Amino acid sequence: MKKFAIILYTAVTLALLAWGFYQAWYVAPADAMQGEIYRVIFYHVPSASVAFLFFAISLLGSIGFLAYRRSHPDWAQRSDAWALAGAEVGVVFCTVVLLTGPIWGRRAWGIWWTWDARLTTTLVLWLIYVSYLLLRRFVAGPQMQTLAAVLGIFGALDVPIVYMSNRWWRTQHPAPVFGGDSSAGMAPAMVTALMWNMLAWLAWGILILGIRYRVERQHQKIAEREAQAALIA
Amino acid sequence: MDARAILDHEFLVAAYVITWAVQLGYLAWLGLKWRAQKRDEARNLRGGR
Repeated sequence: MKKFAIILYTAVTLALLAWGFYQAWYVAPADAMQGEIYRVIFYHVPSASVAFLFFAISLLGSIGFLAYRRSHPDWAQRSDAWALAGAEVGVVFCTVVLLTGPIWGRRAWGIWWTWDARLTTTLVLWLIYVSYLLLRRFVAGPQMQTLAAVLGIFGALDVPIVYMSNRWWRTQHPAPVFGGDSSAGMAPAMVTALMWNMLAWLAWGILILGIRYRVERQHQKIAEREAQAALIA
Repeated sequence: MDARAILDHEFLVAAYVITWAVQLGYLAWLGLKWRAQKRDEARNLRGGR
């Protein structure tokens, strides 16, 4: 039953991605100012949204680990696995944002990169979570998970700064399309295509997140068995 | 199609290809990691017997 549900979910996700692609490339009209290049939005913005969501999951996992590490060790390990999965998959989506943004910027602004508030805070966010992953990879010992959880919590503080950066400061990056001032907004056909792509990339992200969580839980169980075997020996 | 539209299209394709390369590359790395862990687990279980 579980296997069937996973296969069904994967099939629905792939169908959503195909439908999102069709909407983005063939249904949404060209932008009056930017022409065709604006269609990068259908990958760039959903990737940013999913990255923010997964960094939030990493934050909750980190808090959960710190809260349960003494009282409920199994819950703490599960929380830590969510924290790692959220951070790692979040970095993947944030990487997509940082790679597709300059491609779009080169055509729309004539430059690949500028040190404006939105771009810089996003790069800092990516660097924080890359350092989180490097910490987990190279620091050994029982304190590693605790250190990672603390870094994960501090890293998440940058997410609202990234989100608010083009509201707080004048930036090269465009002002918010949704939730911005009265002049902001998109044509309804563009909004529909964007929402389909949001849904498709969220579904894909959840699939990858679930796989990463399973891999980490398996890793934790192997490590636990090895530790017990070492104690017996 | 004018030169600007052709260049826009090439950049758009590049953005989509990069997106999928990152996502599928990560998925492949996860698959390899999963397989290596399964192999380690099987070896440990054999060694434990």
